[in-house]
Amino acid sequence: MSAENKNLEAKDTNNTQKYTLTKKDINKCFNRLYIGAEMSNSYERLQALVFCASMCPALEKLYTKKDELVKALKRHLQFYNTDSIPGGLILGIVLGMEQQKANGENVPSDAITSLKTGLMGPIAAIGDSIIWAAYMPILIALFLPLAKQGSPLGGILPLIIYPVTTYILMYYLTHRGFRLGRDAITQLMKNGKMQSVIFAADTVGLMMMGALSANYVTISSPLKINVSGSEFALQKLLDSIVPGILPLAAVFAIYLYMIKKGQNFNKILLAVVVISLIGSVTGIL
Amino acid sequence: MNNILLVAILMGIYYWFCRLRCGYTFSSMLLQPVVIGVFVGLLTGHMKEAMIIGGELQLVYLGVTSTPGGNVPNDPALAGCIAVPIGVLSGMSPQVAIALAVPFGLIGVFVDQLRRTTNTFWVHRADKYAEQGNTRGIFICAYILPAIAGFIIRFPIVFIINYFGVGLAKQILVMIPTWLLHSFEIMGGILPALGFAITLTVIGKKELIPFFIIGFFIVKYANISIMGVAIFAVCIVALLTVFMSNKKGVVS
Repeated sequence: MSAENKNLEAKDTNNTQKYTLTKKDINKCFNRLYIGAEMSNSYERLQALVFCASMCPALEKLYTKKDELVKALKRHLQFYNTDSIPGGLILGIVLGMEQQKANGENVPSDAITSLKTGLMGPIAAIGDSIIWAAYMPILIALFLPLAKQGSPLGGILPLIIYPVTTYILMYYLTHRGFRLGRDAITQLMKNGKMQSVIFAADTVGLMMMGALSANYVTISSPLKINVSGSEFALQKLLDSIVPGILPLAAVFAIYLYMIKKGQNFNKILLAVVVISLIGSVTGIL
Repeated sequence: MNNILLVAILMGIYYWFCRLRCGYTFSSMLLQPVVIGVFVGLLTGHMKEAMIIGGELQLVYLGVTSTPGGNVPNDPALAGCIAVPIGVLSGMSPQVAIALAVPFGLIGVFVDQLRRTTNTFWVHRADKYAEQGNTRGIFICAYILPAIAGFIIRFPIVFIINYFGVGLAKQILVMIPTWLLHSFEIMGGILPALGFAITLTVIGKKELIPFFIIGFFIVKYANISIMGVAIFAVCIVALLTVFMSNKKGVVS
């Protein structure tokens, strides 16, 4: 778009709102963020680069003077990291704030940065517990039986459903964030509704993980014990007391270890390998 | 289609593309072993075997889908892009394929660290572009350069291992003694426990653990399908939230 066009546009709207972001502008930014959220993730500033790149279409429109544009670009190259699906809210709010600033309202640069850093933690927590820890594994798990039977639908359905639903959610949140602004969002976060959504997601997630463990963790002992001349199978005995006690014990043993010692994936893997080898050689497992 | 060269090339490209993370939630699903299974199935013509191995491998990485902070504790994509095609083409049992996958899942972590380190260069370059107000340059730093670097980092490893791996795996499979084979089976049975334990820690609500135990024993005692458990779970939770909000008196 040429500078002339921009001037015309500015004249058309009334003087207090010189620059307005249209729905199309917001969608451009939103799509850039959805596509690139993790592409340029770096140790130094995590998602800063993609957030800045996503803001570019809007910033170019809002700041026609070069020094203002430079300031805005640098502002958004600062450290940023969150979960980008609920993070659509942040994008929306920030777009709103930049628009206000461009129109000469008193929005200090710090306010924009501190809004981003202030919200990215809580927003990431919501995203992690709902979108990643609950929704995604549940969705995969639901169609896993199909995969186990050899049907490609077990992979195709999650591949369609997960992105489409989360894309729509992020789209909605971005536009809502833009409309409502920062005050409304702080209220939304305090609202008890968010807490019960997280509770519901976690609870359903846990029950599903329990059910899946029962189906897919398989540990049994072929050991036969000789008691006064008569032989009986250990596994049968265990099953008659509590079915599935070995798999459940394995899940909780690993869980408790991780709670105490942190997510030390490699050590646990090594332990599993060693236990499997010993179990196989000795005939216990 | 049993051309190993073509399979190896396409798997390398697939690994590069899914790990590029192009499309936030799309790519995160694309890199799951069960979805890799679909691709391998299409590629090799052995859809059934590919889905079974992919599904089995998925269990190990179910919880890995959900780590906060963007760090990858284990890479399901590298594990899947190697174990599924080699497993299918050399006729491995799913358990042996899992045993093969696990070390590559670990190597994948280093590969990802390498990628995020190279990404640091692009953000510095973007700083310079920002100084000039060059938005085009910032776009290239955020999308194009990571894609090019990612290809150089990721394509070769999957291509080479797949290209040479199938033949090698066939030879090794014949030599594996039964006790070792059996220990792979045990491992394949235990490893999903790791996936579920990680999910438990990610959800991170100790007081809600009984729900996990309920889910476990519903299946053990009543033998209900996964979809059935999902239905019960949603209903129970829906009722619980009603009771809970009643207690606080916020129901309108």
